[in-house]
Amino acid sequence: MTTIAPPMPRAGPVEWLLATDHKRTAARMATAAFAFFIASGALALLMRSELAQPGLQIVSTDTYNQLFTMHGSGMIYLVVTPLALAVGLYFVPLQIGAADVVAPRLTAFGFWLYLGGGLTMYSGFLTSTGAGKAGWTAFYPLSGEQASPGPGMDMWIIGVALAVAGMTLVAATILLTLLRQRAPGMDLTRLSPFSWSMFFTTTMTVTSFPVLVVAMGLLLADRNLGPVFDTPGGPATYQNLFWFYGHPVVYVMFFPFLGVVADIVATFSRRRLFGYPLLIISLFAFTGLSMSVWAHHMFATGQVNNQYFSLTSTALAIPAGVEYFDVIATMIGGAILLRTPMLFALGFLALFLIGGLTGIVVGSPPIDYHVHDSYFVVAHFHYTLFGGSLMGAFAAAYYWFPKVTGAMLREWLGKVQFGLLFVGVNLTFFPMFLLGYDGMPRRVADYSPSAGFTGDNRLATIGAFVIALGIAVFIANLVVSLRSRRPAGDDPWEGQTLEWATSSPPPRLNFNGLPPIRSYAPLLDERERAREER
Amino acid sequence: MALAVETNSQEFQGLFTLYMVIGLVVAALVLGTIVYAVIRYRRRDGMTPREARGMKPLEAAWVLLVGAVVVVLIVSTFRTEDRVDAVSADPAQTVRVLAFQWGWRFTYPGAGITSTGSSQRPPTLVVPAGEPVRFELSSRDVIHSFWIPELRFKRDAFPNRVTTFDMVFDPGVTTTARCAEFCGLDHDQMDFQVISMEPADFKRWLQSHERSAARSRGGA
Repeated sequence: MTTIAPPMPRAGPVEWLLATDHKRTAARMATAAFAFFIASGALALLMRSELAQPGLQIVSTDTYNQLFTMHGSGMIYLVVTPLALAVGLYFVPLQIGAADVVAPRLTAFGFWLYLGGGLTMYSGFLTSTGAGKAGWTAFYPLSGEQASPGPGMDMWIIGVALAVAGMTLVAATILLTLLRQRAPGMDLTRLSPFSWSMFFTTTMTVTSFPVLVVAMGLLLADRNLGPVFDTPGGPATYQNLFWFYGHPVVYVMFFPFLGVVADIVATFSRRRLFGYPLLIISLFAFTGLSMSVWAHHMFATGQVNNQYFSLTSTALAIPAGVEYFDVIATMIGGAILLRTPMLFALGFLALFLIGGLTGIVVGSPPIDYHVHDSYFVVAHFHYTLFGGSLMGAFAAAYYWFPKVTGAMLREWLGKVQFGLLFVGVNLTFFPMFLLGYDGMPRRVADYSPSAGFTGDNRLATIGAFVIALGIAVFIANLVVSLRSRRPAGDDPWEGQTLEWATSSPPPRLNFNGLPPIRSYAPLLDERERAREER
Repeated sequence: MALAVETNSQEFQGLFTLYMVIGLVVAALVLGTIVYAVIRYRRRDGMTPREARGMKPLEAAWVLLVGAVVVVLIVSTFRTEDRVDAVSADPAQTVRVLAFQWGWRFTYPGAGITSTGSSQRPPTLVVPAGEPVRFELSSRDVIHSFWIPELRFKRDAFPNRVTTFDMVFDPGVTTTARCAEFCGLDHDQMDFQVISMEPADFKRWLQSHERSAARSRGGA
């Protein structure tokens, strides 16, 4: 290991756009996902403004229906999923000591499919009938030609198919990289929690995402060529196909951030992760169950075996419980340093807990009969997706920004951002539990002044703008930290995994040399050995 | 009035309370432990963390504990669902419900009563309290969902398909109900009114409407 790898060339615009290095593709993907995050978040602010009081003040009902459709579709297809995969695309090769991913050009092609799909979906706003307006699920027959005429809906379908197909390619290359490109000594049993989480994430992606591509193809055919789903069982068939993708995607959006949080908690507790084998086994169980729960979204249809899907959904509490147990047990007896990555990781644990527990609640059919399609469910999945996934994404951002750019993010701005997001998320989404319980359905532009929904809606709207302020602080932090750089060095956090054994940013082929790999935490092994020798 | 069977809202309340109590206890325990760990094990100078390798008996005990809670929840859920999903051999009344963009039509077979209403003029569903009411639910166009929040119950309405289920109403219900499944432009206006009556009052209501329906038929 005496050869010195060439440093990463400084990226001109052409290089930045066309290079196929996994780090460049991942950076492009994360940047695109962040841009779609801002756009889809702006749609949410418009929705919250409209809902601040009864009556229609800002947009028409038709526009509102496009807003929530594109907010949900944007966040799921174009923001959280690609962000989760981008983080994996960047850090899996680094954590397993690989020089690049397998098939880097295919990975880059996957990115372009995703971006093209996202732009196609958003371009629907430019058509005369507007963008897709059948919800992010596009249930049939509402998404059919008769109920939703116009090119915006077709563009939505094509956009979803392209984006999801692109992400399938990216996930497939990450999975193959994990299987084929590990450095000598990096056995599967020595993968970091994050790399393991990506192993299961990409497994779910390649098995479930193609089903949605097929469903979108059939829907497009139904609209343009002739009936496919127009049978007595057709609408439920569409839902089965959709949720066969639509539930695993929830874990695709969650696992990588759970993995990041496990890495971060161990690092900032200055300790090896507690119960590593059981944690990995529980991720495996989680993955199996997550592919077996899809029709818990269909309890109210009366067309699925509710008890089976309720059983698998409730059983998810066991692996989820193990993960919380191991992560918290890692902190007990550790030496906890509350830097921003750790703060966001703790925020993830606290907020996802609410999302997860209410997930068990809605997994019970007799309870779901009431709260399904109400704001209760909206509150539940925003606690998992914003409180969980996005808090985890910010934990990852603060943790790994130094590795990607070589510069630290400002700690105090990070703490301000954390405070704003933590308060904002609770202020926005907690009142939605009450609204749903009290009978407010989701996907409505308006509600009656006599329904008693006004107060909680106002709180949620205020909360949404607190979140927006938190995001603005994050953007300011990015700008300040890149303009006036505070060098990070190779390993600013006393990291445990291999990405901290190379320079920041890593060279073109990632490593000049690797430490011996004897556990999932080779750098921690090195430090312990050095301490014993002293 | 003593009810022979539990109403939908009573069934819901029992189960929901169980889930909420367990959920709150778990949330308090987990959040409390996190806060304790952060305060107690905050990094101080000269602090060396204990070696963490996992403890098999502790982990096994935890898995069994969570598993036991899952069993309690799932058994309660199954029992409640069996009662809620049961259909009576002899329902007190059958109502046919047709959902459409954007309104509802309630038909009482044999009684010649139909109440139709759209978003501008919500229709009214009148039902007897305390006895199973049979619903035959369908849709004329897209998927809708028949949701009565006060009864804590909904069921989806599909086109080309009749979904049959029973509900038991509390006495004295006067409430607004609505469509829960997004169904296009005026989904947010798709309300209906629900009134539950004592069975004797309901009979009188039904008979008076039958008479007026017969009169209007005779006059036509």
